[in-house]
Amino acid sequence: MEFETSVLGAPKLGDVITFRSGGLFEPPPGGKLVSVRKSQKEATRQRVLDAARDLFEAQGYEETTVREIARKAEVAVGSVFTTFASKGDILSQVMADRLEELYGELDRVIPHLRGGVADRLRSLFAIHFAFETRRTKLFLAHIAAAYDWTLSPSTRPYGRNQRLRQVVRDCLAEGVARGEVSADQDLDVVVDALMAIYAWTYRLAAWEGADAAEMSAVFDRQVGLLAQGFQPRV
Amino acid sequence: MKHVSGALSGDPESGVKIPTRRALAKQQTRAKVLAAARRLFSECGYEGATIRDIATEAGMSTGAVFANFTDKSDLFREIMFSDMATLAETMREAASRGRGVEDALLRAFSVGYAFYKSQLPLARAAFSVSWLPEEGVELRFSDTAQALRDLITEQVQLAVERGELSQEAEVKLRGDMLFDCYLANYPEAIFLGWSLEALQAKARDQIRVILAGARRG
Repeated sequence: MEFETSVLGAPKLGDVITFRSGGLFEPPPGGKLVSVRKSQKEATRQRVLDAARDLFEAQGYEETTVREIARKAEVAVGSVFTTFASKGDILSQVMADRLEELYGELDRVIPHLRGGVADRLRSLFAIHFAFETRRTKLFLAHIAAAYDWTLSPSTRPYGRNQRLRQVVRDCLAEGVARGEVSADQDLDVVVDALMAIYAWTYRLAAWEGADAAEMSAVFDRQVGLLAQGFQPRV
Repeated sequence: MKHVSGALSGDPESGVKIPTRRALAKQQTRAKVLAAARRLFSECGYEGATIRDIATEAGMSTGAVFANFTDKSDLFREIMFSDMATLAETMREAASRGRGVEDALLRAFSVGYAFYKSQLPLARAAFSVSWLPEEGVELRFSDTAQALRDLITEQVQLAVERGELSQEAEVKLRGDMLFDCYLANYPEAIFLGWSLEALQAKARDQIRVILAGARRG
């Protein structure tokens, strides 16, 4: 079955369905005791993450308790806490795993991006919209975590993920190299603005039921306005 | 209750309605509960304060609190809304003293950051609540929250009318972008301990790049 390669081997980047379809995480047959124990621990961790992701998405982050996560994952509450410091930590890890998938998609797409810097940015974020609207509630909880000061320093709520910012920043830096972005523009300012506008576009999904295409359409216009601001003055 | 209001509802000859003693007492009770709740939310955050604590702080029974507010979130909402309404007014006033649209926006933003920075636990509680599925939606969709967004957009509109920004400035969309950035800086403002100066510097750069394309000439 496909999940064996994706769980026990290297997961196929961007392969969302096979990556999620697991649930039966048997230790490899014939392994030594230590490696069995190690892989059991890994299996427990993965079961917790899968259960948490499904519960956060189905009923919301706030409404989900660690006890419920443990029950769904069929592990003891105590063993959840041996792996994760808090519910916020679990959310962070769920999102980090999801981002791996997203980066996989981005890595495949970026070499094929064409057009000016604004269009490239639009394509990058369109991939984000399409990806995150598969599990909108989960993403909203991720943004909300940025406003939760009880999180431990190890958690990475939305906006504190350097890799995500880097993809956007690289795209702008290429724009500078091609003369489409003003050389004296502070790129971090643009990255910050894009990240802010992108995140808040999700209110359209959360409260007006917009889909990925509708959100992309609004965001595309905003990128256009921002581009007017960062392109070189003629 | 007719017997009460009949006896106390004012001077029939002047036609001026004076609030009944009961209504006045109720108002005072509400104000007392709100003041106590504000103190406790400020000290302990939203989760940390219970209705029982708030009642004790206000010097009344929990029953008396519940006679005025349905639950803790009702109390918190009332405080948030009154804060947001005050803030909207102060921000508008600050913006009106600005020289040019960039300065006006920066003044408005600064008032907001300074306001919430001055009461961190309450601000933190407010921002956490603003993301809860039900309370959050109510807060965001409220007229009070919309008024804050509107006053930012209004600054862009005024700049178009003054001829500072072009007629094709896409006022609404730009207003939304500015407000998004204003809000997105709050984690830095209330959780990461950024100074007001650092926040202003960041906001100024954001305002500049968002408005640059609409500048005339």
